[in-house]
Amino acid sequence: MKFTIGAAFAALAATTCMTTSAAMAETIKVGLLVPYSGVYAAMGKEIEDAFMLGLETYGKEVPGVTFDVIREDDEMKPQVGLAKTKKLILQDEIDVLTGIVSSGVTGAIRDTVHAAQVPMVISTSGNDEATGAQCSPYITRIGFSNQQVNRPLGTWLAEQGVKKVYTLAPDYAAGKQMTQAFVDAFKAAGGEVVASEYTPFQKTQDFGPYITNAKASGADAVYAFYAGGEAISFVKQYESFGAKAELPIYGPGFLTSQLYLEAEGAAAEGIVSALHYVPTIDTPENKAFVEAFKAKSGHLPSEFALQGYDAARAIIEAAKTGATDRASLAAALPKVAFTGPRGALTIDPATNNLIQPIYVYEIVKGENGATTQKVIATLPASADPANGCVMAAN
Amino acid sequence: MPIDPGFWVLQTLNALQLSMLLFLLSVGLTVIFGLMHFVNLAHGSLYALGAYVAATVAGLAGFGAGVVVAPLAVATLGAALYFLLIRRMRRAGPMAQVLVTFGLIFVAMDVTRMFWGDLPMGISVPAWLNGQLDFLGIEYPAYRILIIVLGLITLAALTLVLTRTQVGAMIRAGVDNDQMAACLGINVERMFFIVFVVGCALAGLAGAIAAPVLAISPDMGLQILIPTLIVIVIGGLGSLKGAIAGSLIFGFVQTFGAVLAPSLASILIYALLAAVLVLRPAGLFPTKG
Amino acid sequence: MFRHTRLRLITLALLAIGAVLYGAFTGYFGLEVLTEIAILAILVLSLDLVAGFGGMVSLCHGALMGTGAYAFAMLASDLGLSPAAAMAGAIGLTGAVAALIGAICARSHGIYFIMATLAFSQMGYSLVFESPWFGGDDGLSDVPRPDLSAIGLDLNDPRTFTFWCLAALALAYLVAAQVLRSGMGRSMVGLMHNEKRLRALGLTAWRVKAVAFGISGAIAGLAGVLAAQQTQYISPGLMAWTVSGEALVVVILGGLGTLVGPLVGALLFVMLRHEVSAFTPYWHAVVGMILVAVVMSRANGVYGWIEHRLSVRGAHGKPIEPEVENA
Repeated sequence: MKFTIGAAFAALAATTCMTTSAAMAETIKVGLLVPYSGVYAAMGKEIEDAFMLGLETYGKEVPGVTFDVIREDDEMKPQVGLAKTKKLILQDEIDVLTGIVSSGVTGAIRDTVHAAQVPMVISTSGNDEATGAQCSPYITRIGFSNQQVNRPLGTWLAEQGVKKVYTLAPDYAAGKQMTQAFVDAFKAAGGEVVASEYTPFQKTQDFGPYITNAKASGADAVYAFYAGGEAISFVKQYESFGAKAELPIYGPGFLTSQLYLEAEGAAAEGIVSALHYVPTIDTPENKAFVEAFKAKSGHLPSEFALQGYDAARAIIEAAKTGATDRASLAAALPKVAFTGPRGALTIDPATNNLIQPIYVYEIVKGENGATTQKVIATLPASADPANGCVMAAN
Repeated sequence: MPIDPGFWVLQTLNALQLSMLLFLLSVGLTVIFGLMHFVNLAHGSLYALGAYVAATVAGLAGFGAGVVVAPLAVATLGAALYFLLIRRMRRAGPMAQVLVTFGLIFVAMDVTRMFWGDLPMGISVPAWLNGQLDFLGIEYPAYRILIIVLGLITLAALTLVLTRTQVGAMIRAGVDNDQMAACLGINVERMFFIVFVVGCALAGLAGAIAAPVLAISPDMGLQILIPTLIVIVIGGLGSLKGAIAGSLIFGFVQTFGAVLAPSLASILIYALLAAVLVLRPAGLFPTKG
Repeated sequence: MFRHTRLRLITLALLAIGAVLYGAFTGYFGLEVLTEIAILAILVLSLDLVAGFGGMVSLCHGALMGTGAYAFAMLASDLGLSPAAAMAGAIGLTGAVAALIGAICARSHGIYFIMATLAFSQMGYSLVFESPWFGGDDGLSDVPRPDLSAIGLDLNDPRTFTFWCLAALALAYLVAAQVLRSGMGRSMVGLMHNEKRLRALGLTAWRVKAVAFGISGAIAGLAGVLAAQQTQYISPGLMAWTVSGEALVVVILGGLGTLVGPLVGALLFVMLRHEVSAFTPYWHAVVGMILVAVVMSRANGVYGWIEHRLSVRGAHGKPIEPEVENA
């Protein structure tokens, strides 16, 4: 009898425990805002695959919490992104918003997200303003910032003995932010910038005139930022001019992103660039991630995938502290810290910007003939300057 | 700004290269307009398709095969389009034809996405085209020279066919007055078909030629459409001379605009287009009729 | 010539009743969609005014809408004008810009006119995109909405704002219909059918075209002002030529030169996009195929087809004239 009572007590205790965790067993509604249509669809798919992989991998760590992911297509258009954000916040009543590739969309939705006090995890957009003058206690960056990638490379390049540089980038906000961050750091370290040229964004078919200009400029090297289709065109046309031997290319790693490396082929060989992630980082965390991602989607993860994966991880880390609703997630997200595939990550409390190491890598021919990234230096993590961010009390 | 003469030779070659690429695209479009009086807005999509076919074939059988197969494949598609849509629309007026081809742009873009995916592709050229040629003491990419030469050959061949052969005379007659030409016993319907298919083949060729220097992406057809339209409108729709003039003007304004006034580079060509249309509302070399 | 047949009046009444009922009872997202339809409808109305009744097929109406949006945002934010004054200023300014473009392009016809307007559209786009003065591709945020608290309306309430846009649409329609009935509107239609004859009669063609294009531009500017107020954020994407192309597609789908048809087109287009994109990522292909099918069917858009069927049966109204087959 005693035994039975004991058992009953145990059962009761168990039930109580169950109820406590049932109180925690809430659903976190996640709004995933990425492009799914048109030429950007591949990017959206990459982020979504990795985000779901992140939830599967780390979801076990928060038993009782389920994640309800609501996907929306922002078409890479600020207006559409804003309309979809309002829908996610007002109609779907999401607890946290993530994704967001375009800097334009980030700028467009910032005020809405801030006013609605919905936590937002920026996984991809590098818009400096979002953790600068436009920062908000509700916005946490888990991807990268434009200057974060370029600033260390400026210092590093000057240390390598490169004296005079010619910069090239498309004429839009990200192009200017990236170039400016590099130029400032490079000059501070004693380098000289011969000229900074900006090419019409997505309207330049022929980079020949600019490449010819660069060759005639007397610079030691070209520093170029291009992404997507423009990166492929630029890299291939640069190679055809045979200028790389005397005028090597450096630049933020979007120029040779994993997503476009295959299309660039041998033309990318020898380019030295820097990024917060490449799939060849030699750590056990990264190897596990690369294997899992390859098994899921059949190709190596790009930085877009990694960012989606870490966004999921960050939300789970926040949920581990017991946060499940907008207010508690907003408070917990800027405090997350973990070691992931790209190394140790922390969030700068002054701006809610990510602090992470930067990898300098060269594109080399790999074992099977395809090109791969060879990491040649790891630059230590350093926080971005506050850039006019005044964080309101949370 | 460097005063080295070699620099200006190089930039002139850059301008010529861009001009010739645009010429290959615009000449087909403009001759089709001259004969059939409608602008095939899907011409850019045919160019994109040429690039995709060239990339696929080049992966299997080498670059040369890609350059040969792409125009043929696009011409075949052009023939199908002609019988399915264009011929039926012949009497529906130019506006309707323009709109049908506008709809085709969207269809073509999504169809390429379904077949080849969303990620941009790239192909490499054979080693002998990969290097640089010594040209009057100046090094210039061999592949760009090939584009220039190919454009000039096409120009010469078309000029020859149009001015020296019977088919050319028929086409010129058709451009001037297609009803009169029909009365004279010319099979206008067949001529339309041939010109349309040849125009499509040239678009496919342009796509295959451009594939190694550009990113092959589903929207490349849309991106090239506006430059091509600018070329033929500046030159005057329907005239071969106009297509040459328009291509050269576009290539040189873009290239030297980028060199001399980079901040104005993207506005310059549109300002020029507006100016031409104000002064010559039907382009520089308008066709009669 | 434009006239209100019985069918057109019935359609207008049905559209108005439908919009009001839907607007009164739908949820948040439904209101967003309704606002989107209203703003697109104003834009395509302005385009139909010149394309359908003046033969001036323009590819710069997206840029004109953008001009209205930017002018409103900058007059209200940078110059500190009251939103009402900024609205009036933006609409007037867009009208003036459009009149200028219309005057410059007046001598061009057909594809040349399309290309000339495209040139202006692209110049505007590049200017806004590359100039930091207009916020570049980051766009401008904090665009205000007018304060109508004096008459007891709060435009920050989604439902009130939707009705504000619907009221603007009704106003734009009345203005467009009135313009078409005026002497100026008749001259414009006459110019489309036979420019030489009207010139011989002593009409100054370029002036009529410039005024018509200016009025159309002012209406497009109104659409831009509302678009800026809706999202309270604007970016150069508003001015891309594809926006103009899309507007043209909507006019064609609805029925060129019917004024009512484009309203139906805007409704169908927005609904189609939301429905189709929900189950396939290839919604562009679907829209493209529908466009091809509509044009191949030789009907003047969906609404033109309905008008034609009913007039053949002799059920309502008079048979419509074969307007603008060869614009």
